[in-house]
Amino acid sequence: MKIDKTKLSRRDFFKAGTIIVGGIAVSSTFIPFDGLLFAIERPKGKGKWYGIGIDINKCIGCGKCAKACKIENNVLDEPFYFRSWVEQYTIKMDGSILVESPNGGIDGFKQSVPDEEIFKSFFVPKMCNHCAKSPCVQVCPVGATFETPEGIVLVDETYCIGCRYCVQACPYGCRYIDPGKGTVDKCTLCIHRLDKGMQPACFEICPTEARIFGDLNDPKSKVNEFLKNHTCMVIKPHLNTDSKLFYNALSSEVR
Amino acid sequence: MPQQIKRLIVAFAFFILLFLVLRQVLKPSSFGDLGHYRADAIQENIDSELHYAGIDNCSKCHEDIHMDKAIGFHANLNCEVCHGPGMKHVLYAGNFTDRQLPDSLLLYKPVGRSDCAVCHQVNAARIKILFDTIDNSMIRQIDAMTHNPVNKRTNEKLNCIDCHNPHQP
Repeated sequence: MKIDKTKLSRRDFFKAGTIIVGGIAVSSTFIPFDGLLFAIERPKGKGKWYGIGIDINKCIGCGKCAKACKIENNVLDEPFYFRSWVEQYTIKMDGSILVESPNGGIDGFKQSVPDEEIFKSFFVPKMCNHCAKSPCVQVCPVGATFETPEGIVLVDETYCIGCRYCVQACPYGCRYIDPGKGTVDKCTLCIHRLDKGMQPACFEICPTEARIFGDLNDPKSKVNEFLKNHTCMVIKPHLNTDSKLFYNALSSEVR
Repeated sequence: MPQQIKRLIVAFAFFILLFLVLRQVLKPSSFGDLGHYRADAIQENIDSELHYAGIDNCSKCHEDIHMDKAIGFHANLNCEVCHGPGMKHVLYAGNFTDRQLPDSLLLYKPVGRSDCAVCHQVNAARIKILFDTIDNSMIRQIDAMTHNPVNKRTNEKLNCIDCHNPHQP
């Protein structure tokens, strides 16, 4: 069809318009339009897919996980950057919420609110959620952060340009720029330990077994048993990050 | 075809070819093997150094303490919870069976009251553990600073471990 630009009739306009719009509509049925392209799919059948469970009821806020993480992964002591840390939530009688995390909980917690003012109080250990639909992976402009086939979100230090976009994108605040290297740094789920058949350091060290780690694809794994026996929830489910960090007894106050 | 178009095609072909050649040279060999990233980066992450050895490594030599601990309240605790990371100790302490261990291989000995207080200091957020669990994972709480600070007979300062055996509390 030839369109004469100098004399475009209404009929020609509708013809051309119908062809363009209809063509896009028909061709989209062959290749479905996917606005959300995710880096990795959960492996079906064989293949590991790591998941994490944290039992808030069992956490005693000793901060040993935060300390173990810093030592195991050579995270700088200062400034206060953490790959894994513990927060104490105190909900007061007047409804206000106090969140404390002195040095990530490494030095232990001191109760700062007197007993009679407390409605309830609990500890929330936090770490990278290793989301399957990671916002941080999607925004990386250079392919420096990625998900392994097992679902672990890692950083390629040699590729990272330190643009901080992923630090902004992470809804859980689990990334920081290492001031020494100038590149982004985050929890690796201790992949160096997993490779040797060991548990990640924070799971290894937890004295009350509040942290459970395992393969979500294995129906008999510890984490699946944990999910079966507890009512678990992820933080910020409305963000559709497909987080793989499940909390038992998570209060709605936790952000 | 006009002369300009022909020249443009040649120029385009040249630059596209140049791009392909440069890409082939500059692209890391493992880029794109598993996705839009350098697959070798996984191995580089795996090559990090270990610091925590795990309880199985401790019990190989310290079987006596391990057995002691197994019947107490601290049975589920990994040794490194209190004593700190022990990978170096596990790797090299075997060479010093006849001599004193150098300081760099010695593990932390938690003797102070603050060491026990990290877990056992009274805190409102720890109370619910008492109600939720009935087995050994129940935690005892104490105000570590005011609980029997001195020996009443001799007036000496007391540490928690003077009365409580940390391996079998």
